[in-house]
Amino acid sequence: MTTEMERLERLAERLRAVEPVMPSPGAKIRGWNLVLAAVEQSATVRSRSHPVRRLVLAAVAAAVLLVAGAVAASADSLPDSALYPLKGVIENVRGALAFSPSDKLDYHLDLARTRLTEAEAMLARHRVDLADQALSSLNDQLNDAALVVQAEKAGDPALAASLENRLVQAIATHDQQLAGLQGEVTNAAALAAITQARDGAAQALQTANQPASSNGGGKPSASPSGNGKGPSATPHPTPKH
Amino acid sequence: MQPLGKAASDDDRPLIERVRRGDQDAARILFERYFDRIYNYVYARLGRAEDAEDLAIDTMTRSLTRLDLFQDQGVAFSSWVYRIAHNATIDHYRRQGKATLVPLESATMPVSADPSELAVEQLSNEDLHEALRALTDEQQQVLILRFFQDLTATQAAQIMGKSVGAVQALQHRALGSLERALHGRTNN
Repeated sequence: MTTEMERLERLAERLRAVEPVMPSPGAKIRGWNLVLAAVEQSATVRSRSHPVRRLVLAAVAAAVLLVAGAVAASADSLPDSALYPLKGVIENVRGALAFSPSDKLDYHLDLARTRLTEAEAMLARHRVDLADQALSSLNDQLNDAALVVQAEKAGDPALAASLENRLVQAIATHDQQLAGLQGEVTNAAALAAITQARDGAAQALQTANQPASSNGGGKPSASPSGNGKGPSATPHPTPKH
Repeated sequence: MQPLGKAASDDDRPLIERVRRGDQDAARILFERYFDRIYNYVYARLGRAEDAEDLAIDTMTRSLTRLDLFQDQGVAFSSWVYRIAHNATIDHYRRQGKATLVPLESATMPVSADPSELAVEQLSNEDLHEALRALTDEQQQVLILRFFQDLTATQAAQIMGKSVGAVQALQHRALGSLERALHGRTNN
């Protein structure tokens, strides 16, 4: 009887004695031709990818990452933040991509809600000036939303009714929040701004109630201003630090 | 098939630098140095000349065109080439569902006078190849590298990403498994 080690060693020796299987000469020629073609192609690509070009690409990639990070960070920025102007740019882009009346209404109501939140935050930080701007912009958004509703009344009354219902609910919610704020602040300027905002919201409701013909008989532009003087330049105010 | 030798990785370095600069002669030397070995390695795993040829070409193409990746590997070029071959083999298994493997049952094993012992000397190469393919992936790899490719335990360890001790233990278990596989075939 042989030991296990001896048996395994014999088996190992037998494995070592196995004749290596070699590729055919034809396979080797074919292999080299294919590898050579790939190596040539790779060398061409490498020569195109100059170090300076790589550096530029890396810089562009870094810039893209930086911008993406700033965009993400700006989404929740407040009027007293350095990133707030970027938020306005992104909101403008969003507005340009809202095509249907329903999307446009959602866009304006969403911005109105955002402005109200910003106004509350600014009041909490005693920045009445920025709160005033946010509330003014809130009114602009509600007016724009009202004009979207009004414009649909001539073309699609059923849709207009549905949009108006959403607008009414949104304004009611905002007004409730504004009333709450009114009871909390003591600053006279802040109180005046809130009162003005509530009046503006009521005015937006009236605008939405009016038939389309009262607005000159045609549909309003994509982003009409709340004061009826033309399209809004920006959906949110420019902060003054 | 030329032995790989311990100095192979040192010899490869200037050639690799030349290939990086687009020197086709250097690429040819590396191709000649590794193609047969890789073909042999893949054939031992798959048992089909056509597949071995394709995967060996694929391995050499990747090795010689992706040298920018090799820079960061921190291993010998030879080990890197074997790893590429190994990964290509595993990918092939996945794609094929191991359908190309030769079933062990088809082998005919010789019988020793002592039924407890294998007539190792009488085993044909094909018997051994087929029994080998019944082992686990790692067991096949270690036996092929150590005995078919005649690499040292250190070289095999670098290729497999294991310690030398782990490779030696794996080799011992693999030989035991191979013996049992061959015995099982003999007893059927």
